[in-house]
Amino acid sequence: MGAVLLLTPGCCLLVALTVAGLRGRGPDVLLCYAGVAGSVVALGSGLTLVVAHLGGHGAAVTTLGGQLRADSLSAFMLTSIGAVGLTATLADAPRRSRPVPSPSYPALVLLFLGAMSVAVLADNLGVLWVAVEATTVATAFLVGHHGSRHALEAAWKYVVLGSVGVAIAFLGIVLLYAATRSAGVATLSWSTLNGTHPALDPSLVRLAAALAILGFATKTGLAPMHSWLPDAHSQAPAPVSGLMSGVLLSVAFYAILRIQAVAAPVIGTTMMRSLLATAGLLSLAVATLLMISQRDLKRLLAYSSVEHVGVLALAASVGGSLAIAAALLHVLGHGLAKATAFVGSGWVLETEGTTRISDLRHLLHRRPGIAIPLLAAVMALLGLPPFSLFFSEVGIVVAGFQRGMGWVMAAMVALLMAAFVALVRRLAPMFLGHRSDDVGSPDRTVPGIVLPLAVALAVTAVAGFAAGPFATLLTDAAAVLSAP
Amino acid sequence: MSGSEAGVNLPALTVALSQVVVLVVLSPLVIGLMRTVRARLEGRVGGGLGQPFRDVRKLLAKEPIRAKGTSWLSVAGPLVLMASSLVVCALMPLLGTVTFDRMPDDLFVVVSVLLLGTVAVALVGLDAGTAFGGMGSSRHMTIAALVEPTVLLAVYALSIPVGSSVLSRIVAARLEDPTSVFSPVSLLALLALAIAVVAETGRLPVDNPATHLELTMVHEAMVLESSGRDLAWLELGSWLRLGALLGLLATLLAPWGVVTEVSAPGLLLAALALSVKLTVAATLLATVEVFVAKVRLFRVPELLAGSFVLAFLAVTASYLVAPG
Amino acid sequence: MSESMYAQLVGLCAAVLLLCAVLIVWRRSLHGQIRLLAAQGWGLGVLVAVLGIHEGDGQLMIVAVLVLALKGIVLPRVLTRATVTDNGDLREETPLINTTASLILVALLMMLAYLVSRPVQALGSTPPVAAVPVGMAVTLFGFLVLSTRRHAVSQLIGFLLLDNGIGTIAFLTAGGVPLVVELGVSLDVLLVVLILQVLTSRIRAEFGGADLDDLTELRD
Repeated sequence: MGAVLLLTPGCCLLVALTVAGLRGRGPDVLLCYAGVAGSVVALGSGLTLVVAHLGGHGAAVTTLGGQLRADSLSAFMLTSIGAVGLTATLADAPRRSRPVPSPSYPALVLLFLGAMSVAVLADNLGVLWVAVEATTVATAFLVGHHGSRHALEAAWKYVVLGSVGVAIAFLGIVLLYAATRSAGVATLSWSTLNGTHPALDPSLVRLAAALAILGFATKTGLAPMHSWLPDAHSQAPAPVSGLMSGVLLSVAFYAILRIQAVAAPVIGTTMMRSLLATAGLLSLAVATLLMISQRDLKRLLAYSSVEHVGVLALAASVGGSLAIAAALLHVLGHGLAKATAFVGSGWVLETEGTTRISDLRHLLHRRPGIAIPLLAAVMALLGLPPFSLFFSEVGIVVAGFQRGMGWVMAAMVALLMAAFVALVRRLAPMFLGHRSDDVGSPDRTVPGIVLPLAVALAVTAVAGFAAGPFATLLTDAAAVLSAP
Repeated sequence: MSGSEAGVNLPALTVALSQVVVLVVLSPLVIGLMRTVRARLEGRVGGGLGQPFRDVRKLLAKEPIRAKGTSWLSVAGPLVLMASSLVVCALMPLLGTVTFDRMPDDLFVVVSVLLLGTVAVALVGLDAGTAFGGMGSSRHMTIAALVEPTVLLAVYALSIPVGSSVLSRIVAARLEDPTSVFSPVSLLALLALAIAVVAETGRLPVDNPATHLELTMVHEAMVLESSGRDLAWLELGSWLRLGALLGLLATLLAPWGVVTEVSAPGLLLAALALSVKLTVAATLLATVEVFVAKVRLFRVPELLAGSFVLAFLAVTASYLVAPG
Repeated sequence: MSESMYAQLVGLCAAVLLLCAVLIVWRRSLHGQIRLLAAQGWGLGVLVAVLGIHEGDGQLMIVAVLVLALKGIVLPRVLTRATVTDNGDLREETPLINTTASLILVALLMMLAYLVSRPVQALGSTPPVAAVPVGMAVTLFGFLVLSTRRHAVSQLIGFLLLDNGIGTIAFLTAGGVPLVVELGVSLDVLLVVLILQVLTSRIRAEFGGADLDDLTELRD
C-alpha cells in the first residue's frame, strides 16, 4: 500500500525529467498529455487511498520509513489535487489545431503537481515547507510563460513575495523544531507531535505558530499578503491559473491546518483563532472592494479566490469537526469551480482576444458553448445552491454560531453578500442580453473539451448533498485535525 | 581616596607628566609621518618628519595679528584648546593605568574635556565674524554633535564587560585577558570608534586636512583668521588631540606595553611601545587617506550614523554574548 | 575546544554576521554588497563548523561545507552574474528611504530583534542561544532591504540576507534542521535565486533597466 504514496511524486518527477530530457524530440502526445497523465495518477492514487481508508477505517498509510504518510486528510487533499488537475489540464489539452507546447511547459506543470502531492503526503513540516517552496519554483516560469512585460512583472512579484512569505513560515518551523529539541524529541513529524504531545515551551511555540501561519497565509493569498495573487493568477496560462487558484492555495491552507493542529494542544486556539479570523475577514473585505471596480475577468476570478480563501481561514479559526469538514468540502468545490472558471476565461481570451469585461458582451447569446460552463462555474463560485459551496459556507456559519463566534460570522455573511452583489454586477452584462443588430448566428464551437468541465461542475453540484462514504471521509479528515 | 591623603599621588603624577611629555614630542612627529607617507605614496618628496616642529617653532616666535573687533575669545580660545588637549593627554591611559583618585580618566570626563576644546576652536572661528570662519564652525559643531554620542556609546560598550567606565580599567582588563580584544563587542566598538576618531580629528573622508579650498574646509576654515602664537597653539592642540585619540585606539586594540606599576624602565618601554603603535596607526591612516576621497558634506551624517549604529550594536552585543 | 573558546568563537561569528548585515544596509554599491554577502556566507559556514566541532556532530560538519559552498561561493557568483550585464548600473540609486534613515532603522530593528527573541532565550543560556538575536536582526535587516530597495539585484540580496538570518537562527537554536530538510531548503533557495536571476535579465531586456519602479503596470 505504501507504494501508492510514492506513485504520484515519482511519476511526476520521472515524466517531467523525461520530457525535459527529450528536449521536444519526443512524441507530441507526451507533450500534450503529460499534465493529464500526472493528474490521473494523482487522482487515482488519491482515490485508492480514500478507498483503503474507508475500508480499513482509520489506519494511516506510511512509506519511506514514515517520511510519507497518508491519513484521511492527506488522501482527501491528494484526490482534490488530482481532480482539479484533471479538470484544468484535460479541458485545455492541446489538440491538432494548436501548436505543441514547448517541453518546459508540461515538465513544469508536472513538477508543480508532484510538489503539491509531496506537500500533502509528507509527514514532516520541513519537507512540507520544501514542497510548498518547490511549487513557487515550478510555477515561476509558468506565470511568466507569455514573456510579456505584464507576465514578467507578475512573475517577479510572485516569486519574491511567495518566497519571502514562505521563508517566514520556515522561521516558524525552525523555532518549532528548536522547541521540540529542547523538549527532548527533535522532530518535525506532525504525526509524532500530534501523537505523543511532548511538553513544548508555550511561548516559543506561540511565536513559531504565529510566524508559520503568517508565512503560509502569504502563499494562501490571505489579505494583507495577497497582492501577488491577482497578478500571478491573471498572467499565468489558463490551466495553470486554474491549478494555482484551485489547489495551490488549498495546499498552503492545508499547511496552516497542520501547523494549527500541532500548536493547538500546547498554546490553545485563542491566538490562532484571532489571527485567522482577522485575516479571513480582511480578505473578504479586500476582495469585495476590489471586485466592485474590477475591469479584467481573470483578475476578477483571482479576487474571488482571495474571497474564498478568506472563507477557509474563517473556517479554520472556528475549528471543530463541522467547520473543518465544511472547509474541506469548500476546498473541493472551490477548486473544481475555479478551475472550470479559469479554463473558461482562457477560452474567452482565445476566441475574443481579450479578458476586459467591458469588451465582452452578450456571451450567452454569441458564444453559448463557452459561456454556459463559465456561467455555471461563476454561479457555483457565487455560492448558489445546489453547488456545494453553498452548503459548505452554510456549514461554516452554523459551526461559527455554535462555537460563539456570532459577530464574526455575521460580518462574514454580510461580506459574502456584498461580494455576491459585486460579482453579479460586474458579470451580468457580460453574459446576458443581445444586441438587435447582432446578425451572426450563435457560435457553439469550443476551443477545448467541455466534458471534464461538465463533470467537475456536476461533482460540485452533488458533493453538497454529501452522504455515505463521502461524508465519512470528510468527518474523518476533520477528526484528524481536531483529535484531542 | 586613600592615596589622596598625602596630597599628591606621585605615581599617577609621574604617568600623567610623562604622557604629556611623550605626546608633545610624538604628536608633531605623527603629523609629519602622515604627511610624509602621503607625499611618498603620491610621488612627492614631502617636508620630512620634523617639518611640523619647524612650523610650530616659527609660529611661536611670531606676534599674533588679530582682526579688528575680535574679543577676548580669540585670545583665550587657542589657549583653552591647548590646555584641554594637554589634560586629555595626561588622562588617557596611554603609558600606564595608574590614575588620580580625584580625577579619574573616566570616559565622561575625557569626552567633556574634548568637547571643551572643540567649542573653544569653534568660538575662535566665529569670533572674527568672517564668512568662512562661521561656516567652518557650524560644520565643525555639526560633526562634533554627531561624533560625541558615537564615542560615548562605543567606549560604553567596551566598559560593560569590565563594569567600569574608567578608561584605564578597560585597558587593564584587556591587558589581563588579551582574547577579549577579539570579542564581538570589541570589534564593533573599535570600528565605530575608529570612524568617530577620524571624524573628530578632521581627517579624510570627513575633512581634508591638506585642503585650502574654502568651500570644502572645516578645520582650516576656523583657523583662517588666526596667526602667530595663536595659530601655533591651535595647531599643536589639534595635533595633540589626534595623537591622544589615535593612541587610545591603538592602545585599546593592542594594550601590550602599557604599565600597571610605575617604574622608569617600564615607562621607557611603554613610551617605546606607544611610539611603535602610533607609527603603525599613523602610517595606516595616511595610506587609507591616499585612496579615499572626501565625502560630500551632506553625506557625512550618513557615515557617522553608520558608526553610531555600529557602536549601538556593540552595546547590544555586550549583553548578547553570555560570559564564557 | 574549551568552553570559553567556544563561547568566544560563537560570539565572533555572530558579530561577523551582524557586521556584514549592517554594512550591506549601509553600502550602495551592489558589488560591495555581494562581497559582503559572500563574507556573511563564510561567517555562517564557520559558525556551523564551530557548532559541529563542539557537539562532535559529523553531519553538521557536512552541512557546514554545504553552507560554505552555497552561501559563500555559489550564490554570490550567481548574483555577480546578474550584475555583469549592467553597464555602470551598479549602484542602488533610488532607495525609498535614504541611508541615514535606514541605519537608524537598523538600530531600532536590533532592539525589535531582542524583543522577538525573548521566547527563544528561554531555551537556556548557552552561547548559541545568547546569539539568537543576531539571527533575528539579520532576518529583519533582510526585510528592510527588501522593502526599501528598488533594484532587482538589491531585492535578491535582501532575500538572501533574510535567508541567512533564518539559517543562523536554525543553527543557533536547533543545530540546524534535519539533513533531508536542509538539503531541500538549500536546493529551493538556489533555484529561487537562479529564477530571479533569469527574471532579472529578462526584465532588463524588456524594460531597459533593472529598476523595479518600472514594474507598476499591473494594478487595480
